Amino acid sequence: MNGGQAAQEPDRAGADGTRLSRRAALATTAGLTASVSGCVGRLRDLFTQRNIRQLSLTITTLPADSDRESIRIANELEQALTTAGVDVSFDVRSGIEFNRAVLYDHDFDICIGHHPGGTDPDFLYEALHSLYIDESGWQNPFGYANLAVDDLLEKQRHADGAERRDAVTNALEAIATEQPFVPICVPEEHRVVNTDRFTGWADGHLATRHGYLGLEPTADVETLRAVHTDSRPTKNLNPLAADYRGRGTITQLLYDSLAADDATGEIQPWLAASWEWRGATLDVHLRNGCTFHDGEPVTAADVEFTYQFLADMSDDDDDRVAPAPRFRGRIDAVEAIDVRDRDRLELTVDAGQAVGERALLVPILPAHIWRDQSDSAVGLGSGALAQGTPTAVATNNMPPVGSGPYQFVNRTEGDQLTLERFDDHFTLRSGVERPAPMVAAFSIDISPNSETAIQAVENDTADVTSAAIDTNHVGSVAEKDGQQLLESPSWTYYFLGFNTRKAPFGNPRFRRVIARLIDKEWLVENVFYGHARPIATPVTEEWVPDSLAWDGQDPETPFLGASGEVDVDAARAAFEDAGFRYDDRDRLRVRQ
Amino acid sequence: MLAEVLTQLALVISILVPVSVIVFIGRERLARTRSEWRSRLRTAGPVIAVLIGVLLINRVARQTAPELSRQVGFHLSGAFYELEGEFILIFQSIQTPETTAYFSTIYVYGYTFLLIFPVIAYFTLSDTRIFRRLLTAYALNYAIGLVLYILVVAYGPRNLMPGELMERMLYNTNPQYQYLTSEVNTNTNVFPSLHTSLSATVATFAWKTRSEFPKWFPIAVVLAASVAISTMYLGIHWALDVVAGTMLAAACVSLSDRLVDRWSVAELSEQFADRLPWPQNQE
Repeated sequence: MNGGQAAQEPDRAGADGTRLSRRAALATTAGLTASVSGCVGRLRDLFTQRNIRQLSLTITTLPADSDRESIRIANELEQALTTAGVDVSFDVRSGIEFNRAVLYDHDFDICIGHHPGGTDPDFLYEALHSLYIDESGWQNPFGYANLAVDDLLEKQRHADGAERRDAVTNALEAIATEQPFVPICVPEEHRVVNTDRFTGWADGHLATRHGYLGLEPTADVETLRAVHTDSRPTKNLNPLAADYRGRGTITQLLYDSLAADDATGEIQPWLAASWEWRGATLDVHLRNGCTFHDGEPVTAADVEFTYQFLADMSDDDDDRVAPAPRFRGRIDAVEAIDVRDRDRLELTVDAGQAVGERALLVPILPAHIWRDQSDSAVGLGSGALAQGTPTAVATNNMPPVGSGPYQFVNRTEGDQLTLERFDDHFTLRSGVERPAPMVAAFSIDISPNSETAIQAVENDTADVTSAAIDTNHVGSVAEKDGQQLLESPSWTYYFLGFNTRKAPFGNPRFRRVIARLIDKEWLVENVFYGHARPIATPVTEEWVPDSLAWDGQDPETPFLGASGEVDVDAARAAFEDAGFRYDDRDRLRVRQ
Repeated sequence: MLAEVLTQLALVISILVPVSVIVFIGRERLARTRSEWRSRLRTAGPVIAVLIGVLLINRVARQTAPELSRQVGFHLSGAFYELEGEFILIFQSIQTPETTAYFSTIYVYGYTFLLIFPVIAYFTLSDTRIFRRLLTAYALNYAIGLVLYILVVAYGPRNLMPGELMERMLYNTNPQYQYLTSEVNTNTNVFPSLHTSLSATVATFAWKTRSEFPKWFPIAVVLAASVAISTMYLGIHWALDVVAGTMLAAACVSLSDRLVDRWSVAELSEQFADRLPWPQNQE
């Protein structure tokens, strides 16, 4: 305990555990001098003083309206960093703007947000492989490059069974050591559903298409009414636009993929009737007679086009390669694609079977519509996206034409979106045992916040809160007849990402100290109200190795302090151990 | 839900306005208005058209401005936070459930009433100049506000320090109001506070007309001050937004003095009878 911390104690508020007088607390700590930054440090300064100054960094995150938890984590980190002698500022951006800054422009120091994660640990290949450093999208936004980690990620990709489990463990341990990003916690997903009008809510995960298919309506119910707290789907329904897509639930209803997965990561045939493995080749049979919403047939040529297009959206005689900002890891597994006939094709994959089948999870695009999108790139001054962004990514894709179980009817930007059942969808055929669209219409109303969304279900103007509700409202949902609070498995996680392209974030020692300034357990209790689990590794529980299991504290980067309060001396010592120094005014100095 | 909130608002206003008309305006002025309203409307016609024009542009711009803002605007949330830090948390000291209820009510109902009543009151004055000045000042507030909203992309304190503000945030105690506010504004439009600038505009005019409406003046001042404080108390605006709002109000009031009667309104209204009189707005 030191003076700085003691000074903060009386200011701490009750339930939310927030601290009030940040500046007052800082003023006090600034007066204390850490003894360790002594003469030796200052002598060395004589030689290198010029380009070494106080570390000043910006935390890019989302406003409370978009994501209350992210900004709360950022508030806590800001305080921890400031007490450790770092100059912190905020860059607060809407969901779209956050994604553009972090995923497209790589214009950030540290970001705090909600990562879509994955049911299978292979999403880490996409998230961290160094080959993707210069690409836009969820593929390595951190600019992380480590050949050993690359190698481990590739190994798990080619293995199956127990061998793969070992390979995944090795990769996860190496990643935990390196902390290219800090996984914070996995929030629980709760939704409020109307059980009077529909039954079968628990059959499919409500963040995937299956959640909205196969629901049994009671008599006379013809519309499934969702209330959504994210207005992005009313503005853009492009399955490739990483800035507008969260988990892509709605685009999954509009676009089919060859296979579909569920909350356990199990993969089952969807638009493909079946497939067989022959060596490294997947022999895929499409269902006969499927059509897109505009009546054009879905053929093996469309599938071939989709895989080629997602791998490179620029046109053929262009030297640039422009991969799509989503689905990169899945597409990358496909080495070759051969159309055998109208309904049959072969995919040769450079991966084991487990990862190879995940390549079947991308949306199938109609070639006759998207082919035209490939030839041009966004020019100068034509929008907020960087020059050279392919139009296929920039387009809002309205109206979307897919082959999925629901098709687009209309929308009012920021307000609502209406879909209707696609009567020609294969799930509606007799003999197809896959969940089908059971009601004729699907409406999605935008509600400004979680609480109004819950009220909409309580007042029977909506059947489901399609986005998971804010964890601070989970405890206050009224139990009553005809309404249920439904918990679904969760694999998304909150994270702190480093832009490792910039000093000092490229230094794993530095990143590890930052990771140790985050009290994950405390955040879970006070920001997530207990409706989350703290994590040391960002995979689903079945993949967590014993070495990285949460045991009351982070097994890899334990918190430097207690009860959310950083131990200033310990934090400074940790920075100094990592090779950084403090000046005589207790500011952390780095070469930037 | 939006309809519900609007109905409630309309109901409250429809009670407050007639009561205030009786209390603040008086029988004699109303009687005179009944005989003169046509000619007064004619004189004020162009100004009314300008205000409606500005409001319509504002309405349309709410849809398109965010994208434009994204391209040309400056992201200043972080800068505002850096500059004033946790200043608005000083209102913590007066925080009780009652004050929260008071300021929430003021923010939604008090503000709406404050804007509507003077329009009616000043219309009952024989000299339409003050009426025209008020409408001109409103139009200027909205027009200048819109330009600043496009240039400055910033979130209010409630979006940057939700933890500290939790108990008293408007949308935590009255989540349904967010339907209303998100209908009229986006959450990055905080600089300046139009709640403050329009309220301060009304209060300034109330001072100018204190001899005509002596009872209205203190009420308007108390309401306007409450609105300005409510925006900070509820965590919607930074103190900087409120300061900027006050300055905007001063500018709009003094501009309205210069603009109104600058042109012969009668001539202009004849000349531009079937067009929107843009020249007044382009000064």
